[in-house]
Amino acid sequence: MALGTAALVLGGGLSDGIARQLTASLVAVQTGHLQVVVRPADFEPQNSPFDAYGHALLPGGEALARRIAAEAKGQGVRRAVPYLYGRGTAIAGNRSSLASIVGILPSEEPELRAAHPADTGAFLPADDPLATYVAAPAARKLRLAVGDSVSFVIQTPRGAVNSVDAVVCGVFRKGAPWYDATFYVPLAAAQALFDRPGAATNIKMTLAEGSSAAARRARPAVAAIVGAPEGLEPGERARVETFEEAGRFSFSIIQANESALAVLSAFLFLAAAVGIVNSMLMSVHERTREIGTVRALGMRRAMVVRLFILEGLALGVVAATAGIVLGAAGVLYYGAHGIPMNTMTLAWVAGGDRLFPVLTPAHVARAALAIAGLSTAAAVYPALTASRLEPREALHHI
Amino acid sequence: MLLLLLTMAAAVAAATPTADTILCRADRAVLGESAAYTLQMTVVRPGKPDRVVEMKGWKKGDALGLVRYTAPAKERGTAYLRNGANTWLYLPSAEKVVRVGAKQNFGGGDFSNADIFRLSLVNDYVPTLAGEEAWDGQPCYRLDLKAKDRTVAYDRVVYRVRSDGTFFPVHAEYYTISGRRLKWLTLGEVARMGGRARPTRLTMESALEQGSRTVLRFLAIDDDVTLDDRMFTPSALERGQ
Repeated sequence: MALGTAALVLGGGLSDGIARQLTASLVAVQTGHLQVVVRPADFEPQNSPFDAYGHALLPGGEALARRIAAEAKGQGVRRAVPYLYGRGTAIAGNRSSLASIVGILPSEEPELRAAHPADTGAFLPADDPLATYVAAPAARKLRLAVGDSVSFVIQTPRGAVNSVDAVVCGVFRKGAPWYDATFYVPLAAAQALFDRPGAATNIKMTLAEGSSAAARRARPAVAAIVGAPEGLEPGERARVETFEEAGRFSFSIIQANESALAVLSAFLFLAAAVGIVNSMLMSVHERTREIGTVRALGMRRAMVVRLFILEGLALGVVAATAGIVLGAAGVLYYGAHGIPMNTMTLAWVAGGDRLFPVLTPAHVARAALAIAGLSTAAAVYPALTASRLEPREALHHI
Repeated sequence: MLLLLLTMAAAVAAATPTADTILCRADRAVLGESAAYTLQMTVVRPGKPDRVVEMKGWKKGDALGLVRYTAPAKERGTAYLRNGANTWLYLPSAEKVVRVGAKQNFGGGDFSNADIFRLSLVNDYVPTLAGEEAWDGQPCYRLDLKAKDRTVAYDRVVYRVRSDGTFFPVHAEYYTISGRRLKWLTLGEVARMGGRARPTRLTMESALEQGSRTVLRFLAIDDDVTLDDRMFTPSALERGQ
């Protein structure tokens, strides 16, 4: 039972760690708590982490972001930041690689900066129009270091091919695998590259309160400000999405993990329940004469039931305490050091190459109550069995 | 004296065709208005064995084009169709026709679908005669082509066309909007094919992959063939007609 509790605490810690990592990364890097994005009428999410990005341009997105920031303050919008995402090719020397090029306003991206800390060099400076901040895997693939030049070649939304040169200002630590090919550039450089000055693909909003309920509350006011922007292609429309809607991929992983944890818990409970019932029945069997004696001395059946149920509860409390100490120690240790996610699949599931489990009081309390409750409930049948013993027969039991 | 000067000026003017004329003549130098041809494509990638594909192609005007792979056996049946602004790819293994972008690469090489099927630069570019120069030992006109709008893949093309009266294109450099040279095409191996001389070897190199190149070599060409429009439809592509 103690091991079962420890496993539950550890499993909960892993599940919460994954949820926290995926959500924090999604909110900080892609969607904010609420985002404005242009979707075609026939847009169907591919259950991919790239679904959160807009794949169509929002003309005048930069100005619209400023309007939202100014007018939606009263609705809890702390910041509205435009960014422009696009795919292309990065070329360095005689090497080339597919690239996710993201144009950002560096001074307005503190969360992104924290989510993608620099391994070498520094984050994108606010005043350098030709700098790029590169993901470590992309830098490794193109053999790029701080100070090296890299060229980006893309096909603009209108069809022409364009290019821009940039100098690497920093290389950021590997995070979720879907950011492996990311190159951050200043928004103006991305707009020039995509041949659409003033445009953005996403407007990312950070709210004062970061819950999904707060995002849903702020949405109508933001949608009213956005209205029907001019210049969209036929069939396209601007949508205001909460981070849960925009990041379906992340939340489907979180949900899958929680389901797996629920199944694991069910098996643990079943195993623990069988163990408790078995050991309590053995205990009843071994203490038959004892039960007979106390019954002969006048103890009532209800008292016998209470005695064994209390014993089950005590057993559960002791096991839960021991399990919590063991599980919490494991969660705290791995929470500090991280668990390496060495394979591509693990990195995709955890949203990074290391997983940091989280000790959530609610999860610990739930595990403790569940084990103590289970232990108590499992003692009911042996207690009833003990209470049904006739004192005369029990005293003759060998 | 004045008459002599005017006559000389007229002669010079007559000797130097306009940029439009040069471009129109160069456009038809490799393939005629309608043509059927056999082509060999060699994709060269550093450190990898060359990939050689043979195909048969048909074109009708500037809007309709069809190419079917004939060898090697494992790629036989793969086909590309261009009809107006749309390009489709048929994969026999999947038995499926899929729409592909005009700017996607053709058959894994350095040519894009647009490079293969957009056989007319006249429609997309405004030419300017930038001068005359020798290229690979041959006198050439140097045309500066500026895209008519931003929907055209390459914003600018520097195009060199032989000035010896043949109007054979010999070299083209393709530039991005920001002015970066992205690809360059070399045309050579002039040979008599389908009743007339023409360049038969086109080599495309790309700045995206240094050391890589794709060579298209015409093995046979028939100009001015009669082609039915119905062969340039996605359903015909799927049926293999």
